[in-house]
Amino acid sequence: MSTPGPRSLAEALRLRDDASLSELLRARPDLITPVPTDLTQLATRAGTRASVVRALERLDRFALQTAQALAVAGDPASYGELLGLMTGDRGEPAVAAALPRALGTLRAQALVWGDDERLRLVRTARELLAPSPQHPSPTGLGPTVQEATAGMSPGRVQEIVTKAGLATTHDSVSAVAALTGLFSDRARMAALLAEAPAESREVLDRLVWGPPYGQVTADPAPRLRWLLDRGLLLPTAPGTVVLPREVALHLRAGRAHRTTEPMPPALEATAVHRPQVVDTTAAGQAYTALATVEELLKDWDEGGPAVLRAGGLSVRDLKRTAVALDVAEPVAAFWVELAYAAGLLASDGEADERFAATPAHDEWLQQPADLRWTRLAEAWLTATRTAGLVGGRDAKDRTLSALGPGLDRSAAPEVRHRVLTLLAGLPQGAVPSAESVLARLAWERPQRREDDLRARLARWTLSEAELLGVTGRGALSAHGRALLGAPAPAADKAAEPSGPGDKLPVHHTPVVVEPLSPAEQAVASAAAARLLAPLLPDPLDHVLLQADLTAVAPGPLQRPLAAMLGVLADVESKGGATVYRFTPGSVRRALDAGQAAADLHAFLAAHSRTPVPQPLTYLIDDVARRHGHLRVGAASAYVRCDDDALLNEIMADKRAAALRLRRLAPTVLAAQADPAALLEGLRAMGFAPAAESAEGDVLITRADAHRTPPRTPPEPVPDGPPTPDATLLAAAIRAIRAGDLAATAPRKPTAAPLAGGDLPRTGSAETLATMQAAVLTGEALWIGYVNAEGAASQRVIAPIRVEGGFVTAYDHTADEVRTYPLHRVTGVAELADEA
Amino acid sequence: MNGPLIVQSDKTLLLEVDHERADECRRAIAVFAELERAPEHIHTYRMTPLGLWNARAAGHDAEQVVDALVQFSRYPVPHALLVDVAETMDRYGRLTLSKDPAHGLVLTTTDRPVLEEVLRSRRVAPLVGARIDPDTVAVHPSERGQIKQTLLKLGWPAEDLAGYVDGEAHPIELAEDGWALRPYQKQAVENFWHGGSGVVVLPCGAGKTLVGAGSMAQAKSTTLILVTNTVSARQWKHELVKRTSLTEDEIGEYSGTRKEIRPVTIATYQVLTTKRKGVYPHLELFDSRDWGLIVYDEVHLLPAPVFKFTADLQARRRLGLTATLVREDGRESDVFSLIGPKRFDAPWKEIEAQGYIAPADCVEVRVNLTDSERLAYATAEQEEKYRFCATTATKRKVTEALVRRFAGQQILVIGQYIDQLDELGEHLNAPVIKGETSNAQREKLFDAFREGEISVLVVSKVANFSIDLPEATVAIQVSGTFGSRQEEAQRLGRVLRPKADGHQAHFYSVVARDTIDQDFAAHRQRFLAEQGYAYRIVDADEILAGG
Repeated sequence: MSTPGPRSLAEALRLRDDASLSELLRARPDLITPVPTDLTQLATRAGTRASVVRALERLDRFALQTAQALAVAGDPASYGELLGLMTGDRGEPAVAAALPRALGTLRAQALVWGDDERLRLVRTARELLAPSPQHPSPTGLGPTVQEATAGMSPGRVQEIVTKAGLATTHDSVSAVAALTGLFSDRARMAALLAEAPAESREVLDRLVWGPPYGQVTADPAPRLRWLLDRGLLLPTAPGTVVLPREVALHLRAGRAHRTTEPMPPALEATAVHRPQVVDTTAAGQAYTALATVEELLKDWDEGGPAVLRAGGLSVRDLKRTAVALDVAEPVAAFWVELAYAAGLLASDGEADERFAATPAHDEWLQQPADLRWTRLAEAWLTATRTAGLVGGRDAKDRTLSALGPGLDRSAAPEVRHRVLTLLAGLPQGAVPSAESVLARLAWERPQRREDDLRARLARWTLSEAELLGVTGRGALSAHGRALLGAPAPAADKAAEPSGPGDKLPVHHTPVVVEPLSPAEQAVASAAAARLLAPLLPDPLDHVLLQADLTAVAPGPLQRPLAAMLGVLADVESKGGATVYRFTPGSVRRALDAGQAAADLHAFLAAHSRTPVPQPLTYLIDDVARRHGHLRVGAASAYVRCDDDALLNEIMADKRAAALRLRRLAPTVLAAQADPAALLEGLRAMGFAPAAESAEGDVLITRADAHRTPPRTPPEPVPDGPPTPDATLLAAAIRAIRAGDLAATAPRKPTAAPLAGGDLPRTGSAETLATMQAAVLTGEALWIGYVNAEGAASQRVIAPIRVEGGFVTAYDHTADEVRTYPLHRVTGVAELADEA
Repeated sequence: MNGPLIVQSDKTLLLEVDHERADECRRAIAVFAELERAPEHIHTYRMTPLGLWNARAAGHDAEQVVDALVQFSRYPVPHALLVDVAETMDRYGRLTLSKDPAHGLVLTTTDRPVLEEVLRSRRVAPLVGARIDPDTVAVHPSERGQIKQTLLKLGWPAEDLAGYVDGEAHPIELAEDGWALRPYQKQAVENFWHGGSGVVVLPCGAGKTLVGAGSMAQAKSTTLILVTNTVSARQWKHELVKRTSLTEDEIGEYSGTRKEIRPVTIATYQVLTTKRKGVYPHLELFDSRDWGLIVYDEVHLLPAPVFKFTADLQARRRLGLTATLVREDGRESDVFSLIGPKRFDAPWKEIEAQGYIAPADCVEVRVNLTDSERLAYATAEQEEKYRFCATTATKRKVTEALVRRFAGQQILVIGQYIDQLDELGEHLNAPVIKGETSNAQREKLFDAFREGEISVLVVSKVANFSIDLPEATVAIQVSGTFGSRQEEAQRLGRVLRPKADGHQAHFYSVVARDTIDQDFAAHRQRFLAEQGYAYRIVDADEILAGG
């Protein structure tokens, strides 16, 4: 750049075009909530601690390493200096090639500004990343010679300089500069170290990659003494010494990091399945998911589990559910949470609070299977509730229960989306190892904390995606891909052989898929449903009856048939097929449920592909015979009429067949159809029936199903504001530009100097900016301040730090360091020069 | 995706038998899954860790199993299940027992943490000796069986590569004059010999004795045969003399009455488990010769003490023979670890289809109690109830009617209660064989029955096992040992031997309606129904009217 570079971050931002500002705001959406009035304010906000921490946490490993290197470089640093720190003396082409990208990222995020000659890391980032005794840097570097010798007596400094073989100087500053010069000079330093005793070299080798601090006794051993004498180790506190940064860099051949990772780790495919196998497996699992959720809620139809006082499901209820679903407890927790996230179940909010299905569940049941699945999958993708946490403990050591509080994790949707996007980048049917996915995520977003929530979330995502049928055999299915809105990979790519060995890293085509807006998601879901629908099995209308008193349904059954069989026989095993066993108990249950032996025979004959085996006929007849003559039948509805002839007419009518009417007595017909259908049916036949109130003799199973009042599904709890869309961004930038113009337009100096008694008055943005500037320059300011009692005063302060709405400053008036809330500062003015 | 197999989440496999690829599929899955039920349309196989390890022991790997499941499955197989299969199979063979030239019997591992885990177990600690190196630990040779049993319970079955002693050689040849081993018998012998030790599962009447003889001819060494009772012992001896080069003098009987020890010795479980003054005096039989092969007949009946002795015999080849691995006491895993894995298995119906066992018509005859009987039954003491309903007078009439209907054929009437049998014997004018009948008398009656001199024989449960009545074509069961499935299978086996004229066999079970007799009958029939023998039910009135 020929023009002189910008002098502040605000200026640097002012030089950027709209697209680049838009990129900044997209990456750091917290900067426009609320929309800043001008670019100065935007720059100020971009420099606040909270925002910088947030931005740093979102950097990939190499960009973070670059930022860390800048934090230990000079301020400003040239691109060459930075490159040296990243690659070392030997140079690494891969790192050198990746560095412009990383720097670009840092610049785009307004963490670094200035041209290549004068790169500046924003001050807050430098404070966060630079090594200090409290916060050791990931680089493992210590303070510079200058920082480490700050409190040392001039005499001691001169001694060191002499021992190091330099001429004495008049003052400490030049002595320290000379020492720094020596340590930074590779050739002279090599000569100095060549004289070092071997044991002393060992000490240096131990400290070189950090931590750079070591303990010494009051009377150091000779090998330490040799190093201390020459300033190769400098004392920091009594008993502690540090390896100065320049020395460490020399020993490391100039590298700030022991290892740099310029490229994201490749995803390693452990297996490649045929896409068809993946899709059908996933579809099978998707069907299982639907069946499981349905079974779960059916189980809770009559009085679901109670809500704990603290909210959530008790451990015992979860166990019971797990047993009922025949799955492990964590898996049961996943299904429960999934149904909750999809709005299919909720607490009923009554005095004796219980969980139950919502009305939305009933609507859901009516939908075709593919739409039911996308509803679940969408809910899963966007939910911040995290079933994997169930059974763990929160910060207060309370058990986290399913459906209970404390399960929201803001990062969950983003991690889920990222993991699936990574899978989408692989060729169709390729299965990455979980480790390589985790390694990739860790590179993209390094975590400092020990408990690696993102890694756990990623693992849960992989297993949950499999449970839900988004993936099959570990590879992303076609409908899963569609759900993400990711483009289907080209067909020829899928056909390509993956390489000679299975474990070879598969070429990963980066697919950039942004999280979808609700409208886009609806389109993507519809596409996924279209792909999934043909893969789901069609419900069957028949079973195979066998002489060993079992019935096998070789696939999913139509719902009414499954329900009836579920009563007439006990389910012995579930899966692709269902095996039912007829026992005297189960047949009795069916008879108790109001079926007559003849009905059962008819039912079996109608739905069996094979002749009904004789032992089964005998079983039913035997049980029916012993069932007694008293008939406590269960009919869904009845028709009562004093006129026998009218009933004869109904029975004779063919259209009544669908109602499955049965004559109980000359004046009574029983129907298997429910009252509503019966009423409708009879009306359709031209009769005018009237419904009778249920006085306990009509049992309508549907009416018993317990429902909550209408409920909305839980809102996701995102981390920070959502990524702004283009319209908002454009509007925000326009507003900022306008404000900036207003603020920076040249104008006549306002005004009369302040009269002695008046408080200075400035706008809050200007107050903040002035304070920030004063922190940088170290100037003192004159402020007006209103204390908690409302009393106004004027003070002269030298701001030290501005953050979180407070300014910490040395108060010249009170002669001590104080902290003032910014909102109580009425205004600020720079002091006249003579003050 | 239209295979004959459906994989269930509880690890059962449903095989549709009418499917065109059913045969192919059955062969593929039989190596690792146990046939649990074989009714007419859908056969149920179960995958258990034991079954998967059986497959590993037979040289199949997880890849093949997963492949078979995926290839034949109608619906996609849940990924978790495939992973589980692979993991389970992977557990076999992490530990191996082998002979070390310097240290004797050693347990070695390919996976050190596994060895650490099992050594930490309190049950393993007393069985092992010094740690030889990080991957190897010495095992007392006497604990070879114990440690295998214990490791299996811990879920880390050891592969036994320590080999066998050859035993004392003794020439034995099959005398195949006018007959030959059937293909499946040959296959069974071959599988057994290749595997070293193990169990052969064949239906009653399918010629298990010949599998034993074939194995002896392979081993060509002294053999100890353990059988359930004396009659069975005599029959083994008879068969061996007839089918092999062995002579009468070379075969000894070691039973309550005789104590002969010869190159081939047949001993009864009963004599081995006789305890006097707290010790088993006949145990020395195991050490009396250097046996090269030990045959366990009816291994599903192996009494618990014999398991204990067997644990000490791990260096000898062991052959188990049975019609069913179902044990009412659930000790299948002991059979696996001590005798050996299943080496051969063929479904009953398949052998029937090949014509080696007779097709059978199973009928349950329901008799009604009279009103006075019903009242008496209702007021009977709980423990007397079964006896009461099982011996109802109506059953006698039905039995007589059935005997009349099948007049001229060889008929067995089988029952539990002696006074009921005596009464039947009297009415049918037939001899009764029961516990107190001497062995000589029994054999005489059996011979007479074989020769057709008598056509009706009434037997108590003493005839349950291993008597050979080639020409029995009708069996009538009037009462049984409560709900024993195993006994029912054995009794059906009495009539399954192939008939000279390809005649159909009949099996009648007479049951009192609406009593616990009927409940027990249902339980007893379950095994056979699962093997594909569908029972027909008829009312006593039909029989009485028709007879």
